Amino acid sequence: MVTNKSKHFASFFLTALIYCGLFLSARADAEVPTFTVGWSVYAGWNPYFYMYKSGILKKWADKYGIAIKIQRFDYAASLDSFVAKNIDACTMTNMEALDMPAAAGVDSTALIVGDYSNGNDAVLVRNGLTFANLPSHRIMLVEKTVSEYLLERGMVLNGQQAQISKLRLINTSDSDIVPAFLNNTSNTAVVTWKPLVSQILTDKGVHSIFDSSKIPGEILDLLVVQTDVLNRSDGSGIKFAKAITGAWYETMQKLSANGPTQVQALKLSAAASGDSIDSYRNQLKTTYLFSTPKSAADFAMSSILKQKMDLVRQFCFNHGLLGRDVKSVDDVAIAYPDGSVQGKKGRIKLRFNPTFMQAAAQGKL
Amino acid sequence: MATFSPFDIQARPNRLFAQALSCLLFVVCVGLYIQTSAKRHQANTEDRVVPNAQQLMSGIHASVLEPAEEDDYIPAENASKWELFRHSMIWKDTVASGGRFLISLALLVPAVIFALHIGLFPYFGAGFLRFVLFFDKIVALSLLPILFIVFGIDEWSKIALIVIGVAPTMILDVTQMVKAVPQEQIVKAFTLDANDYDVAYRVVFRQVMPQVINSLRLNLKPMMLFLFAGEMIAASDGLAYRIAIMRRHMGMDVILPYVLWIACLLYLIDLGLRLLNRRMHPWFQS
Repeated sequence: MVTNKSKHFASFFLTALIYCGLFLSARADAEVPTFTVGWSVYAGWNPYFYMYKSGILKKWADKYGIAIKIQRFDYAASLDSFVAKNIDACTMTNMEALDMPAAAGVDSTALIVGDYSNGNDAVLVRNGLTFANLPSHRIMLVEKTVSEYLLERGMVLNGQQAQISKLRLINTSDSDIVPAFLNNTSNTAVVTWKPLVSQILTDKGVHSIFDSSKIPGEILDLLVVQTDVLNRSDGSGIKFAKAITGAWYETMQKLSANGPTQVQALKLSAAASGDSIDSYRNQLKTTYLFSTPKSAADFAMSSILKQKMDLVRQFCFNHGLLGRDVKSVDDVAIAYPDGSVQGKKGRIKLRFNPTFMQAAAQGKL
Repeated sequence: MATFSPFDIQARPNRLFAQALSCLLFVVCVGLYIQTSAKRHQANTEDRVVPNAQQLMSGIHASVLEPAEEDDYIPAENASKWELFRHSMIWKDTVASGGRFLISLALLVPAVIFALHIGLFPYFGAGFLRFVLFFDKIVALSLLPILFIVFGIDEWSKIALIVIGVAPTMILDVTQMVKAVPQEQIVKAFTLDANDYDVAYRVVFRQVMPQVINSLRLNLKPMMLFLFAGEMIAASDGLAYRIAIMRRHMGMDVILPYVLWIACLLYLIDLGLRLLNRRMHPWFQS
């Protein structure tokens, strides 16, 4: 009995030792600064999956002596993780960059302006409905997201601004919005994004009355990094920014080149969301990719960006998305590359930083 | 008298100590929360993930005394607290969710009667038991697209989700209780000239009633879960609708009070059923 017990103890001790060893070796690995990037399924972000799978990312990370992990999330969960500072960088739209991390006091920097929705988001209706008679119908959408933004912009651009408060919205989860809308012809209006839009449009009675190609540059898809991480005193944040930007534009190059590399890039990007290549190509058609670093940097430095962001921040403020206690839209300020600030100077929470895109354009990465 | 260590089965803490011990974990949880919140606010004064007391108070104020955003109501200058409360989001959401909950609860009554018949009448049992047994294993949430087709996206699909999710379990549970009633009693009742109705409703049903209520108490949480699932998928009001909306901008200052409020409501319903059971069936000891 006693020997049995001591045997037990010995094996326990041994296991503990092995675990300690593992832990120590893991610590040794951690000497290399490691960064985690969260992404979620969307036409403009799927290339992150390709970037990782093809080894492009590893190549660039090795070049700068760091390690970069790519992790796929549900969109809402990726934002939660970013706000909780569990991940260093995350893909998100300009609107969520403002109303999630920035409004929650997490200083964020937009590193890469990847693309804008150029028709990916759409307002779909049955029975030839128009914006004028939309207020008397129920509208299914994911509330407080770019869908609601698109709907309001549609109302404004069609001269129905006064009617906005009369819209009857039904908050519908994107996971069920297609069957919920299609299965009942008494549902007459829905706002959603691709590929869901394409699925809904297979019903011949439904057509689009407004889409994001009418508001180009307003729904931007960004890669946002924690400003703290970027400004780490050991300089590893800068290395990370350089590596990920370099990797991204190499990915873009592959994606827009012709021939077998492009097919491979498209195939893996489509596989990221379980789409077919055709469906993914269809989504890309309505996504304006800034495929060269120069085009992205130019956009980030233009005055157009400021105008668009102003529309977005007013929307966020009017819907209480900047926080219930925020008394003024200027309390969550945005800083632009030319040094100008939208909002109060002391309260900058979102920064557009084209430095790394410019470096990529000049081939300096 | 022998002395026992605190970890002995026969050890008896005195009343005061037992009370203090039962509060311990609550205090620990609140303490951990405060500490986490303070730490996060040190790093980021505007942290919304773990709101501090001040943020929570303003969140509670907003949910209890300010009109809901989608409400057109504009409070008069001298509106009373009650008047404000009647237009607040928590009132509106509680009424909406409460309605759905109570209707589903009412729809469970026929399910219980149905179960009584399955357990007692052999032909009923032969016809339905196997089907219910199978149906119980179906994950109700996966049926949502079908529910949308049949019931639309309004109230009824949410109520149907709750009933389909909870009723089969209740039916199986009640059937078991009915079967556990000693056969001798039923035979005896028949020899005393009882008819089918008497045996079913006056002998068996009366006896299993307290157990049925206990089973219902256990099913309150699954009911709430299904209600939440339904409201998060498609709704324009309700407690879970508000939580889903608040999540979009990390409104934890409203979400946490909501979660506590829902816990309180469920606790009160549970307490109500327990007291009812004790009042109605003083003879019952489980």
